Amino acid sequence: MSDNDIKLEIDGREVEVPAGSTVLDAARKLDIEIPTLCMDDRVDPAGCCRMCLVEVEGQRRLHPSCAYPAAEGQKVATHNDRIDRHRKGLLSLYKADHELDQHGRPVSRGVHNRLADYLDTYGTGPALTPVDAPRVARSESLETNPYIQFDPESCVVCGLCVRYCDEVEAVSAISLVGRGSGTTIGTADQRSLLDTSCELCGGCIAVCPTGAMTEKPSVTRLPQLQPPKAPTSKVRTTCNFCGVGCQLDLHTEGDQVVRVTSPKPGTTLNDGNLCVKGRFSYEFIHHDERLTQPLVRGEDGQLHPTTWEVAIQRVADGLRQVEARHGTDALGFVSSSRCTGEENYLMQKLSRAAFGTNNCHQCAAT
Amino acid sequence: MFGAGAMTNSIPEIRDTELMFVIGSNTTEAHPIIAMEMKRAARRGAKLIVADPRKIWLSEIADIHMQLKPGTDVALLNAMAHVIITEGLADEAFIAAHTAGFEAVREATRETTPEWAEAITTVPAQLIREAARAYATTKHAGIYYTLGITEHTHGTDNVYSLANLVLMTGHLGVRSAGMNPLRGQNNVQGANDAGASPVFYPGYQRVSDPAARAKFEAAWGAKLSPDEGMNLNVMMKAMAKGDIKAMYVMGEDIMLTEPNAARIEDGLNNIEFLVVQDIFLNETTRFADVVLPAACFAEKDGVFTNSDRRVQRVRKAVNPPGEAKADWEILCEVARAVGYPMPEYKDAGEVYAEMAALCDKFAGISHERIDQEGGLQWPCPDPEHPGTVYLHGDGPLNGTAEFQATRYRPSEELPDTDYPLLLSTGRTLYHYNAATQTRRSSGAKARQPENFIEMHRKDARMRGLRDGELVRVISRRGAIQARVNVSPRMRRGCVWMPLHFAEANTNYLTNDAGDPTTGTAEFKVCAVRVESLESVAAE
Repeated sequence: MSDNDIKLEIDGREVEVPAGSTVLDAARKLDIEIPTLCMDDRVDPAGCCRMCLVEVEGQRRLHPSCAYPAAEGQKVATHNDRIDRHRKGLLSLYKADHELDQHGRPVSRGVHNRLADYLDTYGTGPALTPVDAPRVARSESLETNPYIQFDPESCVVCGLCVRYCDEVEAVSAISLVGRGSGTTIGTADQRSLLDTSCELCGGCIAVCPTGAMTEKPSVTRLPQLQPPKAPTSKVRTTCNFCGVGCQLDLHTEGDQVVRVTSPKPGTTLNDGNLCVKGRFSYEFIHHDERLTQPLVRGEDGQLHPTTWEVAIQRVADGLRQVEARHGTDALGFVSSSRCTGEENYLMQKLSRAAFGTNNCHQCAAT
Repeated sequence: MFGAGAMTNSIPEIRDTELMFVIGSNTTEAHPIIAMEMKRAARRGAKLIVADPRKIWLSEIADIHMQLKPGTDVALLNAMAHVIITEGLADEAFIAAHTAGFEAVREATRETTPEWAEAITTVPAQLIREAARAYATTKHAGIYYTLGITEHTHGTDNVYSLANLVLMTGHLGVRSAGMNPLRGQNNVQGANDAGASPVFYPGYQRVSDPAARAKFEAAWGAKLSPDEGMNLNVMMKAMAKGDIKAMYVMGEDIMLTEPNAARIEDGLNNIEFLVVQDIFLNETTRFADVVLPAACFAEKDGVFTNSDRRVQRVRKAVNPPGEAKADWEILCEVARAVGYPMPEYKDAGEVYAEMAALCDKFAGISHERIDQEGGLQWPCPDPEHPGTVYLHGDGPLNGTAEFQATRYRPSEELPDTDYPLLLSTGRTLYHYNAATQTRRSSGAKARQPENFIEMHRKDARMRGLRDGELVRVISRRGAIQARVNVSPRMRRGCVWMPLHFAEANTNYLTNDAGDPTTGTAEFKVCAVRVESLESVAAE
């Protein structure tokens, strides 16, 4: 414990946290579950979704724990009848303002909808008449960006996407627009994202708690409309674009990569963030122009498909013949900074051990 | 210098830094996620100094933007060194304890005043002074650079000049400081680590070192050459000259990504045998005798090593299309077909284990460990070692670090009356290098469908060019078409083009003059002229 640690009590349990922590931080340290919608460690707390309300002894009102500073000697309750009643009331309001499926649950657009979880866990108060708020999305004919779709009916207007776009990506492409119950997420003049400062990083999708911001490719596979055609799974790997080394989760359906997401914030060096290339540029994997069989150039000067045996033999003969005619240093081996470490190791081993030349390099210039 | 080319510090440290000196790096476009950390640090109050010929995104939030003329980095950096030394801001204790050769730098920078540099770089002397003072007097101050520093005929001097600043201020072996080259490709670091280099075996062991050679000869059961090989730039020229007669190219479109494409074309026509191993047909496969279909990153296992020396896993998620195979499997088959007894590796993990056993730096790293613990940063000499977050925590690696005095010399090819504009090239956010992958994605197509040339509005107006107009860009080596993009980011007299477009390959223009030490070509400076295509049509 350092000098400036703070000691407080949550649900009757003592905890110590560094100065500057919030009540939510302290509760997390005790593994006490507090629901949140508008909260993300990468942005400043806004305290606007009110899901994380707690009761602080000596305070008349309930306070959002994500924004309430922890203080020495504080006594906090995270679960009691009063908080429960408040939360149920809130969830009733959210539900009345949300698009529901045929079973009366919030729709899920192929992603986890945290609002649905909370409705299951905490229940609602009295059912309210659905709100008919005049929310607008950018018109589909104008919004020609290929990746990001916004559905205002699933939005709880927590503004987390807006704050992420401003505070983390720092491009401020989207904003809260309209007023009152018509408030929604939009762009300047409701222009297409392509005509804003948007860099298509997709962070708004990643932080959205309800799936109001979704990927266009996956929207075509809404689970309740179209169940996955094949078993789904998730594989952790490293991005193949620049040298940052972001960790990715490749979501597969059968033998197809159908979505790319980042591991949770705080777990890998990209801290939950991805750029447009990492998140969206995976179409090439299953592109129909991929090479699928070895090709050799024939007498006619064209490339023709062949078997691996023939192609490998042709490579071996071609290299050995040039070596015989011109010496081994007439061979050049170009390895690749796009391939794995093992592959680079084997390429230089091929060049050095099998042929005896150090003419082996790759495009790395830094 | 002070050891291998790699970031001395780590990416997650950036958020805690007090000052960032970003030079020759358009970080928001080339390394967006590192840029996010920089934005976060700047938002927290860290000072940001940017040196770049263009008004790049970061320059807009920078405290100081030194908009230097392309290719004048050494003048700028030596002027900063001059300020630091003459104003007594150098860390004398660090210099005495950990370095050698400082006197030569003191001598070389005696005359390089900010006023002298202003005449060369056009950066106001006062700005250079402010930048130098801020950098020298901040403890957690890191330098971040990319190819804007290295892709010059004086790239090595640029790097030395930066390293001199780091050493004279003692910004080494400190958290959130150091000297940080941001690596361009996913696995540049890993490819170098693995010995895909004409002068190094795996783990930066020199081919000219008899002890290292003996070790690898024993491990691989083969006689190895003591002669250093050709670097890529030299190989490309050697094809045209007839010294290289066969090439085996894996995972690079050399036609599109190497400079002076016309000469490469001559070379590829000239050689007797060419193998290309890739995932798509590309510009280079037009010349290939054999094309081998490879698996992409989602279809194979292995490791990539990122900019901060972090070895991380690549894992197979789906099967390769058709008969395509992982590059490592293909390489083993080729080796066996030429009669070399490549071991029957069960998986990529066994290949890594073989390499790690031969390199002290990676000896403690294995696939199993990464699977359990996540990425590991080398040096990691044994299986108990936790990896190294930042280098030189206890003084420079090789005892003392050498200063290297540098002197400014102009780039190879500067604008003149026939070719009055200075062209720099680079990468954009939406595309990636040869763009074989990104040009097949809808977002990149929507954002940047074709090649463009950024220019200052006055340069455009002088030539009667409108924004969006199709023009011909001509250098001494070739000509291509592109659309004019009148941009407030540009300096007058300078133009900028991306390298991503095969049908209008910018590398027909670029100069293949290389740095004398590294062979890295001068992608960042060459002379061009621009002609309107529409007025030609009208004549």
